[in-house]
Amino acid sequence: MKRNLFALLSLLVLASMVLAACGGAPEATEAPATEAAPATEAAATEAAACEPGGTEPIAFPDGGKSVTAAFDQEPDAIVPYFTQMSFAVWVTQLTLVGLGEWDDKGTFVPELAAEVPTADNGGVSADGLTITWKLKDCLFWSDGEPITSEDVKFTWELVVDPANAVTTRTGYDKIESIETPDDTTVVIKFAELYPPWPTLFTQGPNNAGSILPKHILEGITAAETDPFIRMPTVASGPFVITEWIPGDYMTLLPNPNFYKGRANLDRVQIRFVADSEAAKAALQTGDVDWYPNFSEGDIEALEALAPAVVLTVVPGVDFEHYFFNMGRVDGVDGRGAAENEGFCPFKDVRVRKAITLGINRQAIVDSLLFGKTTVPVSQWPNSAWTNTDLEVDAYDPDAAAALLEEAGYTLGADGIRVGDCNGTQTKLSFNFETTTAPIRIAIATVAQADLAKIGVEFTPIHTPAGTFFGQYVDGGPLTTGNYDMGGYTTGFYPDPYTDNYSCENIPTAANPTGTNWYHLCDPALSDLMDTALDTVDPAARKAILDEAQAYIAENYYVLMMYARGNVYGSTPRFQFGPAGPESDLNWNAEDWDVTE
Amino acid sequence: MWTYLLRRLFQALFTLLIITVLCFLLTRFSGDPLAQYAANPRMSAEDRAALVERLGLNDPLYVQYLKWLGLAIQGDLGNSFFARQPVTEMIAQRLPNTLILMMTAEIITVSFALFLGIISAVKQYSFWDNAITTFSFVGFSIPIFFSALGLMLIFAVQFKEWGLPYLPTGASVWDKSDPVEYIRNMILPVTALAFVNSAGYSRFVRTSILEVLGLDYIRTARAKGLTGRAVLFKHALRNAALPLVTIVGLDIPFLLGGAIVTESVFSWPGMGRLFWEYSQRSDYPVVLGILLIISLAVVILTIVTDIIYTFVDPRIRLS
Repeated sequence: MKRNLFALLSLLVLASMVLAACGGAPEATEAPATEAAPATEAAATEAAACEPGGTEPIAFPDGGKSVTAAFDQEPDAIVPYFTQMSFAVWVTQLTLVGLGEWDDKGTFVPELAAEVPTADNGGVSADGLTITWKLKDCLFWSDGEPITSEDVKFTWELVVDPANAVTTRTGYDKIESIETPDDTTVVIKFAELYPPWPTLFTQGPNNAGSILPKHILEGITAAETDPFIRMPTVASGPFVITEWIPGDYMTLLPNPNFYKGRANLDRVQIRFVADSEAAKAALQTGDVDWYPNFSEGDIEALEALAPAVVLTVVPGVDFEHYFFNMGRVDGVDGRGAAENEGFCPFKDVRVRKAITLGINRQAIVDSLLFGKTTVPVSQWPNSAWTNTDLEVDAYDPDAAAALLEEAGYTLGADGIRVGDCNGTQTKLSFNFETTTAPIRIAIATVAQADLAKIGVEFTPIHTPAGTFFGQYVDGGPLTTGNYDMGGYTTGFYPDPYTDNYSCENIPTAANPTGTNWYHLCDPALSDLMDTALDTVDPAARKAILDEAQAYIAENYYVLMMYARGNVYGSTPRFQFGPAGPESDLNWNAEDWDVTE
Repeated sequence: MWTYLLRRLFQALFTLLIITVLCFLLTRFSGDPLAQYAANPRMSAEDRAALVERLGLNDPLYVQYLKWLGLAIQGDLGNSFFARQPVTEMIAQRLPNTLILMMTAEIITVSFALFLGIISAVKQYSFWDNAITTFSFVGFSIPIFFSALGLMLIFAVQFKEWGLPYLPTGASVWDKSDPVEYIRNMILPVTALAFVNSAGYSRFVRTSILEVLGLDYIRTARAKGLTGRAVLFKHALRNAALPLVTIVGLDIPFLLGGAIVTESVFSWPGMGRLFWEYSQRSDYPVVLGILLIISLAVVILTIVTDIIYTFVDPRIRLS
């Protein structure tokens, strides 16, 4: 019986080797021959079978299968270390992949790597400082050159080289050295613990780490000005960029050497349009096949366009939240002194809770967002990091009013509550600042009406995003702490860590680029988040983050409004998916297809 | 003549300098080039600080301005913060598309306006005059974003739904080397532009022809027995067209700027969209570059127009 099984296995291995030799066929990746056959023999056969499928992108055949996307923002550069644009990352996902990615279910899966390093498979050292990645065998760039561990090392060197103006070195600067004992082994040694290591050299919609081709880029300095950085013409992903006419369109053709085999489609084009309106009209006429950047406010209009336009809403890991300016000029325990004192009543947790209970968030989701998303319990929505024990506070204006009474704020003649705050008569009247996005204006108007019912005067101020998110030196309201309440969208993923709660990260003249725009210094929370940053074991991290989520919820520091959804519009002929919150739509572009 | 020219050139340089200062200040205070990175959890505080340094945004404003001016004088408009490409290259890529669209629209606009204006003037207070006047006011009052979107929704979206032959929305990837495709994609934007612009022009043509028709020399021409047609085209139109030529001449530099709304609605890869997209990003090298080229064209064309006047109308002397 055992002998038969062995024979069968050998046959399978042989068959897969033959298929692999055909070059570029999808089955090629299924050939980890080392399991059954003796190692030396396998290595020999492997070397023989390792041939690139081609050296050029596969030309578009007459009558080939082609799709066109509409983008309303043109990417600045495609190589991810030099851009922060989502639209750029979406193109990167098509052409330059990393060691791993997040799939539609939010699972971290290997791409160029053979497997994800864990403590069990020896990929993560006991002290957590050394991560060993194994690459797949027989990987080739689209020009036929092999993809090796040297490329990974080179990528790191390029990113940390001060001569190259990358937009971020976060994490890469924690790496002490990278060793490449052989062509498929990458040993990454960190100088200090870096639990978010899965975000390095890997890809997701909010995380862009591609492996770069050493044979093309070796020796360059000031890489940010190199044409290849802007438009990489050699690919490791399913498609290769072959043409980019600025302001007009971009063309991608199949990579003959993609590790999963040739993509289904013969061509992907991206057309740069001015806005979502142009995209919507073009979808209706079939001039384009999909547009990735609709907002929640478009859902109703898109539903009306069925069946010509297919609407897909994927709940996201980004969230829209309202928050209080918690700044204290004296700081807390000698930490986190802000330059602007927040609105005094916000220092009382009962006031913050009353405002949270006083806004009917579920009604906002149901009416303005057509019930396509949810009110999240914490800032880690639709993710494995969510604290599932928490519950959303339901709308309860009576309880909210009672809380304000308890806190000493009684209704004045004008219907607005007044009370004593640190010895000063203070009216519960304050500004709420956010951007001019129509959906934000609509939601703020509802919140204003809801809060008026409990005697709170909430005045929305809508500022253009450029000013609202302005830098400290330019006097941006968020950075300088010149606001009462604020609201915008952000998200912490694929790694859950954020330094937005760090006392030391409050923006001031001395630290103008701090990202703690809540100006909140709560030493307990700040230290909890620091501990999360120093914990490698995923289960232990989860426990700490659960605690942090519960702490934020108990203290009502932020008001979670709704989880942002990715709203896609497509033509019925374009077949894609499934798409998840952390995978985006483009993660499996090789499987895309069209039905005619 | 030469002293005059020198004086005008000197004035022009001074004007340009003031324009650049104003444009620089306006663009610099209109937003933060780094705002696009705001609320982006991928970017750390140090990364942001490094970017500010690299873009030279830490320098005092006058230093930033002088650096820009120094390079601009040598014909280098700098690099876009965002696209990291030379601004001159970016403009060169868009300019031909804009010129083809705008020139075609301008020619159609002027011909159409002349046609409507002449009929209106000759048949003053007739049914046709009233109809054309109504059309002009409608065209003049409807904002172009509305007429452009309307044209697209009717002739592209609805025609397709009704199963009729339909025009493209402009948002497909189309072959710019194929003249038929080019014309098909140009029909809707040119119509939208011509509709709005010819409305105003036709009123102008009507008024100036009416004015000329009442002059003595036209009465003389009629008295010596010329036909109505000859009077109109040989005598009246020539003089009536002079002010129109001036206005069209002054419009030409602005054609370089493209049409922001029309280009956006029809996804036309031209200067208008370039300007609009990059001003939203506060990418001031690009915005300033475009403004500088337009100002330069205005200043130069004004001088050229003045010189041409002396040839066209011998009564004018430059001194």
